[in-house]
Amino acid sequence: MSAVNPLEVRYEPSARAQGFLKTVVNGKYNRQIITGLTKFMDGKVPEDMRTFYTSAELQSLVALRGSPRDVEARMPVKVTRHYFELAKTSRALQTLVKASPKETVDLDGAPDPGKQMDYSPVEGLIHKYELGLIYVASTCSAHCRFCYREELIAQKEVERPDGTVAPKGLAQVGEIVAYIEEHNRIVAANGGRHPQTGREKLREILMSGGDPMVLANSNIATWWAALADAGIEQIRLGTKELAFFPQRFDDTFFDMVDKFHEAYPQTKVRIMIHFNHPDEFLLRDADGKYISDPRGGLQWIQHTQQAIHAINTRNWITLDNQAPIINGINNDPDVLRIMQRELRRNKVENHYFFCGRDIIGHKAFNVPIEEAWRILNESQKGLSGVETHARLSITHYKGKTEVSAVTNKPLPGVPGAENGFVVLKLLRSAASAPERGKVCLVGRNPQAIWFSGYDDRVLYDEAGLYAGIPTTTEKQATA
Amino acid sequence: MTFVVGENCIRCKHTDCVAVCPANCFYEGPNMLVINPDECIDCKLCVPACPAKAIYAEDDLPLEQQMFLALNAELSQLWPNINVQKAAPEDAAQWDGVPNKREMLARE
Repeated sequence: MSAVNPLEVRYEPSARAQGFLKTVVNGKYNRQIITGLTKFMDGKVPEDMRTFYTSAELQSLVALRGSPRDVEARMPVKVTRHYFELAKTSRALQTLVKASPKETVDLDGAPDPGKQMDYSPVEGLIHKYELGLIYVASTCSAHCRFCYREELIAQKEVERPDGTVAPKGLAQVGEIVAYIEEHNRIVAANGGRHPQTGREKLREILMSGGDPMVLANSNIATWWAALADAGIEQIRLGTKELAFFPQRFDDTFFDMVDKFHEAYPQTKVRIMIHFNHPDEFLLRDADGKYISDPRGGLQWIQHTQQAIHAINTRNWITLDNQAPIINGINNDPDVLRIMQRELRRNKVENHYFFCGRDIIGHKAFNVPIEEAWRILNESQKGLSGVETHARLSITHYKGKTEVSAVTNKPLPGVPGAENGFVVLKLLRSAASAPERGKVCLVGRNPQAIWFSGYDDRVLYDEAGLYAGIPTTTEKQATA
Repeated sequence: MTFVVGENCIRCKHTDCVAVCPANCFYEGPNMLVINPDECIDCKLCVPACPAKAIYAEDDLPLEQQMFLALNAELSQLWPNINVQKAAPEDAAQWDGVPNKREMLARE
């Protein structure tokens, strides 16, 4: 299906891009990364890290090596010094970054969550909506155990729609630019929609991975200039580096950012950040309590707040946080309430909270859908309207779906709704924009952690989330 | 952890690794490249990219090449950064796999 041969697409920066790129300086970063469990086992980590895993924990993990339950093969283990410092006194952050045998007790899950390969016309590009997602790195500074791109990070073999099997590859600038320009040319020539796919112009590209902030400034700059020259209006950059290594947002980075804006003033940047828990950005006292700032709010970790403020002084960049609700990390209304309040105070929009995806091993991480909704809803009680913009989203193969409401009351006369029902709403349809806003109602199942948990109790399905599955009323009529 | 350029890079120096490194952490000497261990982000893209199979994860570095761990750290402080791929030496192929190349390592 790949339309473009990589060997034939060599990217030549425009004169404007070249002028910008020659001003870019690369910073030097020492993240003090520890990768893998071997160094912990051999006692080769720095002195203060030796107790991060107990010997019993290490033994139970090593015992799984080479077996189908190998946790390092499922998802490589990696932590920065900065995150270790935060995690050593935070149970939630340890759950986020420390490998556990629990991860591979149940290996149920999808090898390619979200069926991304069905939407990948060029290696490293996922084209859904009017947005394209590109993989520009296959690693992050540290690794979340619940990562929903474990297949990319661990470089697992993934089956493509044409039947071939290979690890997911990274996007190449020349190929991506050629695809965008060709797609947008066809759209423009056909009255604003692609004649085959019905999609609109590609206006926005999300740089993802992996974490784009592991790239050198010059590599980020090359992408930004190339995308801007290709007509992209907004560049998104998804990163967890503010939690893992906020020092990455240094003067050389902001110098590049400012030079980019001088060269391409019309191209906006949206930085999508990923905080799961306030322990990742707030200071704590000896008892682990957050510290009030006498000027209002709570005190932040200095590097992290400096980075956020530096981004916020550039009015052409926006900051949004999005994070999954994960068992043992942030499935707590108080945690989410503090997070939403403090982020918004610091000009970070609360965009989405997610239900965990059906990745391999998801049963170790996911919170039941109805429980996730309750936690978020509880967390938003007592917050002001502007602090409660975040919605709970669960990613159906059709597109992003909001878990809008969960009721306790039965719906009289409707089979399957005796214990109440769940309102699902399609926010984005990957294939067809006009389907936005369509609704699906399912009867309650407090144990459900994925859509399949409602297969037997679909009440009403305008959104087509359960195509081919009869509603409870239809089943009753044919019984 | 870091990745380490080992002995077989000497006099081969293909620089394919430089083209794939997202963090620009390669440094160039007269007849070999090295990785700055502090800047390496452990993505391992350079390992399959190297035509001479000269790059190892620190944990996989063969016993007889352990000295290259310290050499990469030391020489990356002395040599200039390289972030654009260039042509390999004309005689690269004939040096591929030759034993004891470490004696030919040119520091400057």
